[in-house]
Amino acid sequence: MSVIRPMQATDMLKFNNINLDVWTETYGINFYLAYLSRWPDLCCVQESPSGRMMGYVMGKAEGLSTEWHGHVTALSVAPEYRRMGLSRALMSRLEHVSDEMYKGFFVDLYVRCTNSVAIEMYEGFGYSVYRRVREYYGNLGIGKGGRDEEDAFDMRKPLSRDPMRRSVRLNGRDVLVSAQEVS
Amino acid sequence: MSALDRQLRPIYDALDMGSHKSAVVSCNKLIKRYPNNLLLKALKSLGLVRSQKIEEALPLLEEVLAAKTTDDATLTALMHVLRLLGRNQDIVSMFENAYKQQPQNEDLGVQTFFAYARTGNWKVAQQIATRMHKQFQEDRYLYWSVVGALLQANDLATPPEMRTLLYKLAHRQVASSPSPSYLSAERFYLHLSILQELQLYDEANKLLESEIGKSICSTSLPCNYLRRQIWRARGLYKEEAERAKDLILEKNDRNWLEFLSIIDAAFPPKESGQEPVTDAIPETRDFFNKIAETDGVKDRSGLLALIELEHRARVAGGTSDITVLKALLQKYFVLHSEKACCFEDLKPYLDLSDADRDEWTTFLDSQRSTLESATDLRCLINVHKLQRFSLPASKLTAELESGRAASYIRDYKEGLRLGLELPETELQLADDLAILAGQALVNAWYLSKEQAYLLQAVALLEFTLSKSKVAYSVRLMLIRLYRLLGAPTLALNHYRALNIKHVQNDTLSHFALSRATTFSLASTGDITYSSECLETSQVYLSNSNETSEFITRAFHGERYSQIPNFIEFEERLENSLQRDLVKMEHVRMRMIHEPIVSDLIDMEFIELKIILDRYHFDNRDFDIMPNYQPNGQPSFEVQTRLFGRNAGLGWLRVYLKMFIRAFQHASDLDDATEDKLLIGDRPKKSSDPENQLPLVERLNKRNLEEESELTEQELKLFEWALTLADWLEPYHNVARPPPTVDGQKTSNGETGSSARKDDAPPVRSTPDLVVRFFDDVQSEFEASVGRDCLPSELLHIVTIIQEAVTLLVAETVRFKSTSVVKIHKLSQLVQSLKEVRTKACVSLKETSESLVKSGENYGTADSRKAFVDACSPIIDDDLVHHDFVLNIAKNVCDSRKKTLEGVGKGGLKISSAYDKA
Repeated sequence: MSVIRPMQATDMLKFNNINLDVWTETYGINFYLAYLSRWPDLCCVQESPSGRMMGYVMGKAEGLSTEWHGHVTALSVAPEYRRMGLSRALMSRLEHVSDEMYKGFFVDLYVRCTNSVAIEMYEGFGYSVYRRVREYYGNLGIGKGGRDEEDAFDMRKPLSRDPMRRSVRLNGRDVLVSAQEVS
Repeated sequence: MSALDRQLRPIYDALDMGSHKSAVVSCNKLIKRYPNNLLLKALKSLGLVRSQKIEEALPLLEEVLAAKTTDDATLTALMHVLRLLGRNQDIVSMFENAYKQQPQNEDLGVQTFFAYARTGNWKVAQQIATRMHKQFQEDRYLYWSVVGALLQANDLATPPEMRTLLYKLAHRQVASSPSPSYLSAERFYLHLSILQELQLYDEANKLLESEIGKSICSTSLPCNYLRRQIWRARGLYKEEAERAKDLILEKNDRNWLEFLSIIDAAFPPKESGQEPVTDAIPETRDFFNKIAETDGVKDRSGLLALIELEHRARVAGGTSDITVLKALLQKYFVLHSEKACCFEDLKPYLDLSDADRDEWTTFLDSQRSTLESATDLRCLINVHKLQRFSLPASKLTAELESGRAASYIRDYKEGLRLGLELPETELQLADDLAILAGQALVNAWYLSKEQAYLLQAVALLEFTLSKSKVAYSVRLMLIRLYRLLGAPTLALNHYRALNIKHVQNDTLSHFALSRATTFSLASTGDITYSSECLETSQVYLSNSNETSEFITRAFHGERYSQIPNFIEFEERLENSLQRDLVKMEHVRMRMIHEPIVSDLIDMEFIELKIILDRYHFDNRDFDIMPNYQPNGQPSFEVQTRLFGRNAGLGWLRVYLKMFIRAFQHASDLDDATEDKLLIGDRPKKSSDPENQLPLVERLNKRNLEEESELTEQELKLFEWALTLADWLEPYHNVARPPPTVDGQKTSNGETGSSARKDDAPPVRSTPDLVVRFFDDVQSEFEASVGRDCLPSELLHIVTIIQEAVTLLVAETVRFKSTSVVKIHKLSQLVQSLKEVRTKACVSLKETSESLVKSGENYGTADSRKAFVDACSPIIDDDLVHHDFVLNIAKNVCDSRKKTLEGVGKGGLKISSAYDKA
């Protein structure tokens, strides 16, 4: 339960309770403005009844022909509002817009292979691993988790325009690609 | 591709890669071969400006501008140069000129539109867009024109009757569009917002009721928001509620706004003028009850809506039975206490009578259980938070608070067991219990001024952080406490560990930089804080360089709903209060770090005057600080403000006036020279009527509200500075060289100056306050040393005396020249000033020596022992171990020693430097 509203530039002045978090990156202002000036409908915020920001999602639409899809760039929920189903609401909002407005074939996102909590959550939302991207988070070097730390899973969920579920596959975890191939 | 084009490529690449110098070298080579090529010169000036060689770039830039080119590449290069220089007006005239020469060039039209947009001149921008629409027959230009009209209408400087006219114009334009607005959600949004403003509700309704209108509102949040506003404005609360019910039942929508819509139908907001619909209440109650029952623990909305409904009923006139509300609160707690936000959800509804509050507290007591799981822990945390919130004033004493802290710590210890397996990147589940204890200890200090409580809080919170490394809110609390305790290096370490980036510098840097001069060792050559000020300010440069680019992108991509907020964002950063608070701190630090000469004085004089003209926005984030203090008590954030005062807009304005006045006296700048020194456009003055007054009048105007943000010592400093300035002003006025004419100084003895010489007023004896101030503040310092005050308070008094010395130096720098003294017969004045200076320097010397001594005391084992002893109530071999506390004691004492000694030694340095001078 919360208020869902479009994200706006001035939210940057009040998102500290979400962004003071080890997993959430604060980008330069041009990053947020670039998204808001192109895909404002794929960026939205959840607010508590008291007006505090609880979480946000930012996404974009990209790809050619049957690869045309919605992409989740950032999804973050403040620590005090976790485990309450906010991510699900934010994701379904993004899926809804990707489907209805952008007519995408699927929605995808990247997640660190070690982040089992997140992977499980996305699986619960209907996403599945499409491929494993090598050294996607490579700038961090190999951490405690070995390869899993720097590799990413590209996870996808088909939308209504892909009723045959052509955008997903069963053995995605075994399909390896390099970071150059996807970016 | 021509030979020249091929040779240009590497120059562009070098500029893109940031190798500006090599770009300049390549340009030079090619300019030899093509001496008349404007593009090369424009690119060279870009390279020069980017490598900070502005003086070299300017003649080149002026040469290219004068040629009035229409070449696309050259114009683009020039635009980048001008933007870096902040000369947006020149960009406007450049493109306007080019567009006039080539009215068929659509690209130039677009650039001219954007140039006007960048300067906020929406009136002309709108006219250009209209012209472009006629000429190039493209729909989007029509919408650009519409946006231009709306932004002009929303400009505060636009009179209200003009506003309506502009909306009507926009309405006509949308109606004249060959394609309907509903082809895009963004155009539809614009159309709706015009109809809303003009209250053309029937027309709006037609759009909204159409199939396509409904479909847009179901996917576009901004359009749906407008729809809701329009319905409410029409008084359609009932219809809105029906719609919301459908969404909640059929689409399983749990957007809180839908629930509020249903409640609003029973209790329309005051501004609607509608009476509460009492008949609707039972039905609404039933609806929410049903939702609450179906959702259970899964979702809070149904039950929270019931609480909100009862609460409104009570506010509206006691139609509701308090027992119903109490029962609902209890039910809510039972169902949702395992959610971290339960406390925040219930807080607005806890304005209970004494008896009801006791009952509520007793109920909460009954909800405690043994700690077996994370759920139990979250529930217990909510019990504590809610009980603490409802504590009556009679139960708030230092002893009771300290006892409460002990009980929170006991639970914390037990709670930690449940998080043993968590990785380092996770927050400990029990963190909030330690935070509660920290807050209770700080409240105990606040009530008793007993410093031991602060030390206990520090030790406990440091321990918490050792168990929960990513607990940012604990760091924020520690930053505040370390500043109070005079251990700023530790505060800065925690601040840096927050990993603040980009825009967060604007909202969060106040934690580290508010009144940072108090802790700055710039006088000894340590520029840590000065550099922090400069780094923090980078974000304002990126804002002025980048944000407007995205406004133009939003136009290109027709994302109209975003544009007003982009503009607001740009303005709020550009005119950020924090930006100028940091600037002021930086100037204060420069005064103790650098020689006080005309370079510093003239530059800062110009900049501070610009700041005085600004309308400021306060973007500082204070809400980020956790607060679990009892209702009615000042929040933790307020309690831990340095010197108990928030240095905000009032503080800034007093400091600006104080420094501008001193710099004005010290400076020989006149308006003509000042304009030459200013590189970019002069910023628009805010429309504040005070800005229309002459500067002298503004500087002398006192404002009690502003002054209430000053500490006692700052206020004394301000009054001292005013008296000093009033005393010296007549002599400055005669001794200042006459203004330059066409850049040439008029020779002495001619025109005005000889006449002024005759007017030299007789020298008045030193005003009492100018000397007494130092006695006053020094005796305050001595009294503070005697009493057990916070080290930060000692630092404050010494740095205020130090500031008086530097301001005195600035005020008297003019009278250092023997010829000035001779010509204007000011030797008696100089003698008086010498006495004041000696007094000031002795005062600074003596207090600084004492500060150094206090600093040294912190280096002893006794001082560390005293720290550990003060912490004994929280030392526990199985939790906060003695050795752990000893280590914290060492860090705090070291930091205090370093700071007190450093500031003291810096004060000595300054006093001896200026005493001799």
